[in-house]
Amino acid sequence: MRPAPATVRRLIFVLMLVLWELVPRAGLLPELFLPSLSRTLGVLMHNWAEYAHALTVTLYEVVLAMLIACGAGILIGAVIGGLSRVRQLLLPVFSSLYAVPIVILYPIFTAWLGVGSQSKIAFAGVYGFFPVMLSTAAGIQSIDQNFLVAARSMGASLPQQITRVVIPASMPTVLAGLRLGGALALIGVIVSEMLTAAAGIGYLVSKYRTVLDSPRVFAAILVILVLSVLFDALARWVERRALAWQTAGRREPGLPVEETYTGTTVPA
Amino acid sequence: MSRSALILTRLALLAMVLAAWEWLPRWAIVNAALLPPLSDVLAMFVTILGRSQVQEAVAVTAGEVVLAFMFAVPIGACVGVLVAESEYFGQIFRPMLFYVFSIPKSIFLPMFILVFGIGFAQKVAYAAFSTVFIVIMSAAAAVGSVKADHVLVARSYGATRAQVLTRVYVPSMLPFLLETLRISMIFNLTGVMIAEMYASRSGIGQLIASWGENFQMPQLFAGVMLLAAAAIAFNETVRWLEARCSTWRT
Repeated sequence: MRPAPATVRRLIFVLMLVLWELVPRAGLLPELFLPSLSRTLGVLMHNWAEYAHALTVTLYEVVLAMLIACGAGILIGAVIGGLSRVRQLLLPVFSSLYAVPIVILYPIFTAWLGVGSQSKIAFAGVYGFFPVMLSTAAGIQSIDQNFLVAARSMGASLPQQITRVVIPASMPTVLAGLRLGGALALIGVIVSEMLTAAAGIGYLVSKYRTVLDSPRVFAAILVILVLSVLFDALARWVERRALAWQTAGRREPGLPVEETYTGTTVPA
Repeated sequence: MSRSALILTRLALLAMVLAAWEWLPRWAIVNAALLPPLSDVLAMFVTILGRSQVQEAVAVTAGEVVLAFMFAVPIGACVGVLVAESEYFGQIFRPMLFYVFSIPKSIFLPMFILVFGIGFAQKVAYAAFSTVFIVIMSAAAAVGSVKADHVLVARSYGATRAQVLTRVYVPSMLPFLLETLRISMIFNLTGVMIAEMYASRSGIGQLIASWGENFQMPQLFAGVMLLAAAAIAFNETVRWLEARCSTWRT
């Protein structure tokens, strides 16, 4: 009898934490390469004010970037997905442009908007925009036409068709896109803070790397890891709650939301 | 809309964008110091292509991209096949892999710099690391696309393992494998660019970053154009191959 996969996952997680503590302690890796977990946590506690301040800057940028990415992504995605003319015309163009590594545009953003928060917000907004837009377009496009025919034949007006059919039916794909777009907005902010910045948690990584202060670098890395775990968990929770009605009447409850892997992921 | 009408409309849109890029700065509607007119950028594009500094940078970047790709793809493909073929491994690692996507890989750049120093090996290692997860995911998706019925039919007609592999797996997976290569290359190129822009002495990413810092906007736009053109050209070539390989399916 093999142990349950979830148990194995937890064991791997614990093992990684234990190794993080023991490998540097045993001298297998120098402290410069990997400071032990306890040392990293100690540094984090000791400099809490500095990290908390950096975190507020980062969170502020992430929230605004997410608003831009999701707002523009849903709006433009809905237009492209809903109007077949526009879709035929523009969707192939967008998927070609998707090949360009967006990070090379970041120097343009800093030249235009300075090294402050604006350039990070704009860059991360663009970074998260594409997956939200593409998955919204796909979600709207994939609506079962019979739903619309049925609604129309029962005399639904256009606003009713949109609120009662189009929005609920495209919800799963759109939410998956929002999770992806949100994660990418976070990634975009961290990447841009690491490249050119004067504040934020990504900036702390770069700042302490240049002075070879490994414990402080790892403290910042730890904060970022926890932040992305929390965001992912939150987004999945929202997704489950919002889509609960889809599986509500079925025999097998709690079917996991199908992981949408559509190739609309963006590198980081 | 017919195919030619679509292409014509797209060309018209492109012409409008390019015309705006040329004339908005010329008429001082936008600041030409921030957005140099298209003709200036194109002239600069030709100039920088002739510079030995840029040619060397392109060679370095190309070397990093190719080498990182050669590490990431075989490793990722093997792990991906394992995750897809063994249900148990899949159940353990699939959720972890999905989670890895929400982590910014760039936070591990300092570790790569500490271990390898700033240089060619560090760029290759980081780019391969940032690419390998997407290769695992899409390789697993490619294996998953093979229909169990097809395998069953082949087996019941007495196909050997090797025959099942070459006659069932490879043809069904081919379009997906090309898709894997295409998506992985996007990640790979991004990985190399981030590593070069972060800390580097050579490479096109380093040039782009330093042009940006020094407000050399025509050079910056020309550099972005060069890289974007290379990325789109690779992407479209693989997409064309993908379309050719999957025609027999329909």
